[in-house]
Amino acid sequence: MILFVLFSCEKEKDIDTEKPNIDITFSEAFPQNCDTLYFGEAFELKAIFTDNMELGSYSISVHHNFDQHSHSTEVKACNLDDKKEPVNPFVFIEEYKIPEGLNEYNPGLRISVPANNGNGSFDEGDYHFMIKLTDKVGWSALTGISLKMKYR
Amino acid sequence: MSKLVMLLFGIAIINGSLLAQNSLTLKGSVFDENNQPVVGASVYLHPLKKGVVTNTEGDFVIDKLSKGQYEIEISFVGYQSFVDTFLLMENRILNVNLEYSAISLQEVIITDNYAEIRKSETSLNIEIVNDDYIKQNLGGSLMNSLERLPGVSTIDIGSGQSKPVIRGLGFNRVVVVENEIKHEAQQWGADHGLEIDQYNVNSVEVIKGPASLMYGSDAIGGVINMKNRKLPTVNSFGGTVDLSAKTNNDLIGTSISLYGRKNWFYADFRATILDYGDYKVPTDSVDIYSYRAPLYNNHLRNTAGKEQNFHLSFGFLQNGFQSKFYVSSVNSKSGFFANAHGLEPRNVDTDLHDKSSRDINYPYQKVNHFKLINTTQYQWEKSKLEFDLGFQRNFRQEWSQYVSHGYMPPVFPDTLDFDADLEREFEKYIYSGNIKFTNHLIDKTQIVFGMNSEYQDNRIDGRGFIIPAYKQFTMGGFAFARFTFSEKSGIQLGLRYDFGNIETSEYYDWFPSPVDENGNISEEYLQRAEHIDRNFSNFTWSLGYKYSPEHWSINANVGKSFRMPIAKELAANGVNYHRFSYEVGDPDLSPEISYQLDAGVEYQSKKFAIGATPFVNYFSNYIYLNPTSEHDRLYGNGNQVFYYTESEVLRYGGEIHAHYELLKNVQLGVIGEYVYSEQLSGEKKGFTLPFSPPASAIFNVKYQKRKLEFVENVYFSFDYRITASQNNIVPPEEPTKGYQVVNLGLGGDISLGKQNINISMQVKNLLNTKYFNHTSYYRLINIPEPGRNFVFNISVPF
Repeated sequence: MILFVLFSCEKEKDIDTEKPNIDITFSEAFPQNCDTLYFGEAFELKAIFTDNMELGSYSISVHHNFDQHSHSTEVKACNLDDKKEPVNPFVFIEEYKIPEGLNEYNPGLRISVPANNGNGSFDEGDYHFMIKLTDKVGWSALTGISLKMKYR
Repeated sequence: MSKLVMLLFGIAIINGSLLAQNSLTLKGSVFDENNQPVVGASVYLHPLKKGVVTNTEGDFVIDKLSKGQYEIEISFVGYQSFVDTFLLMENRILNVNLEYSAISLQEVIITDNYAEIRKSETSLNIEIVNDDYIKQNLGGSLMNSLERLPGVSTIDIGSGQSKPVIRGLGFNRVVVVENEIKHEAQQWGADHGLEIDQYNVNSVEVIKGPASLMYGSDAIGGVINMKNRKLPTVNSFGGTVDLSAKTNNDLIGTSISLYGRKNWFYADFRATILDYGDYKVPTDSVDIYSYRAPLYNNHLRNTAGKEQNFHLSFGFLQNGFQSKFYVSSVNSKSGFFANAHGLEPRNVDTDLHDKSSRDINYPYQKVNHFKLINTTQYQWEKSKLEFDLGFQRNFRQEWSQYVSHGYMPPVFPDTLDFDADLEREFEKYIYSGNIKFTNHLIDKTQIVFGMNSEYQDNRIDGRGFIIPAYKQFTMGGFAFARFTFSEKSGIQLGLRYDFGNIETSEYYDWFPSPVDENGNISEEYLQRAEHIDRNFSNFTWSLGYKYSPEHWSINANVGKSFRMPIAKELAANGVNYHRFSYEVGDPDLSPEISYQLDAGVEYQSKKFAIGATPFVNYFSNYIYLNPTSEHDRLYGNGNQVFYYTESEVLRYGGEIHAHYELLKNVQLGVIGEYVYSEQLSGEKKGFTLPFSPPASAIFNVKYQKRKLEFVENVYFSFDYRITASQNNIVPPEEPTKGYQVVNLGLGGDISLGKQNINISMQVKNLLNTKYFNHTSYYRLINIPEPGRNFVFNISVPF
């Protein structure tokens, strides 16, 4: 029993056990839940990434939600269009490095949304926009929001 | 090698001279009611813990005994045990006639001594339980039923699937053996559960610590060995019906067995059918990473399942010759928690999923495991030769609604040769063969030689890729010797050499993805896996010592174990649908090497026992799935990438147990377990290993009585389980708070006229406590463990 108690008292170690954080709640943040993005235009990603030690990288992905399979991590629900079959949905998956040594970062990234691809125009409607963030050690955080994507 | 032989001889000579003062001999013969010799009966002498087996004439000899009082116990399958106490002052001859056992299959066979004998002859730390234990602790799966054993835990997904974990090591680091053949399935998989029908198990031996010596490459963490040790009585025919029910997931199930034996031939058939609904958790909603999913009526959506298993065994028993055949088919279909399977947490159609708690919708898995095994042995006076042959086919499919990954087409094309909704399919053919020769060369020396070999052919199908098709061949040979210095001490020593080859096939996507080369974007069918052909070989050893003076038992074992990297570690390249990660293998990994020092100390008196089994374990290169800061950009939704890497690891810990007979029928007990792991090198230096079980202890009060009113073998047990918090974590785990759970057990045998009925009942999580199990896959998505659960099992022999 003594052995057991002895073993159970562990020493504190100097390792990172905290996850990074994605903040898109401040007023200038973009995109926010239920916002609209336009095909053929660029937008600027504004968010604040923080970590207790050092940030790693982040990924942005956009996929359709015409079957309403995704839900957002935000409390507010958005109005969704009726379910439909995809024909030529827009897909975007990209990874971005964060400069070394930072524990706070605002990507301020300009992303150009193309107007079409080899198959013609993209499907308008409900999309799901995900930001995934890691820190140097491999802890992760994710935020998913609902968006409309349209032609202006 | 010659030095070794010299050493062995040296030890044997010293050994002979030490024992000269004990000169008395006990000889005898064992016959049945018709004065036919009983071959292979166990003759056991207390308090020496010395046992022999009768030869082909039914004779036995126990020599080098000193004067004194002994208790002898002679037992054999299908006969009533013979027990007598006598005073040995001079050489003696004892002839015994065993009576056929009137009671059938259920009660005869496993003599209480089996575990003791087995433990006394090995310097490894082992736990042995029988089917009564399984019934009394019946859980959702075999491993759940064994979880209470010190040092044993499980990695669960849902209520019916769990993987064995021994002292914190699981997956391909634990070998499961059924009827002498290594059980091979998709052990590497997160959502794979052990395809074993727990109703068909009548003896389980758990070896804690590395046992590569006897079981080969994967036994680096330990072994779960299931043996069918029951045989029907001569000229008998009968059966049993088991009925089970659980309230938490509304399980109903039955298992029916029929058996018969005509002298030298016996046959045994069993069918098991289980059907269960979604299991209930004490919460209204769960937080899957940042997503909140509400639950309907506390039901964990779509975790229902069913199981149908069939077993047939038959065999021939002649003087010194036994050949047994086992054929089995284990089938299950079980749902995955619908909100948390895929590339990301999902919104589900609650009208469809919450309509019934018993239906199984997408996503679900279907598993079929077929086995054909033959074990044959010849036994001579001083030697035994055993052959085992096995064929297995494991077939597993995961089904879910088609969702395009990365650049998969938004609508599934109808030109492909697999179903749109077939997420993954794994098909495995396994051919195994073992040979083992045991010899009592000199009285106190036992030598065992053996070889194990296995060939696997693995195929894949479906829309999603995680591991390639592969073929694998392994072969190993071992020599093992056990020397007994005296009744009180002995050493054992073993050497083994293994060779293995693994060849993986290349794999290309069935859909094109955009590839950016210097700004030129082209559409290409990406290669997910390259062809790998690698050979591995290794030399392992083990050395053990056992010393058991009166009331005490002390053992120590030191050894080297190894494990070949598996196909997933070498060539994985795909999404883990349970934690939304992207997993990538490394074709250059070396075989995992581990060194372990194990010990055991036990004191036992009539009313009191206490013991501890500590261990220290060092891995020079533990293979581990390392979460990195990278994200994948071509297959999923930009999932975080985990790479297989190697790091040095130090582990230590142990188990304790104690019990005390407070009153004649009341026993107090405590069982505790603890494991500490730390990575000593690599990117996660200072971190623990994934799925590290927290320290835990069970305080138990058990009341047992031979007969209470009209109930026989009555027991009532109260378990108070206290588990510490686990703050030693590695990404993506969460710290898990400690918890306390109360479980009750109650049962006994009731006679209704001539009919005997065995009843066992349990209340698990009596107080409906909401708690998290750190080693559950569902812990990662904040799903608490099942709420209060009443478990009933009724067993009716006929």
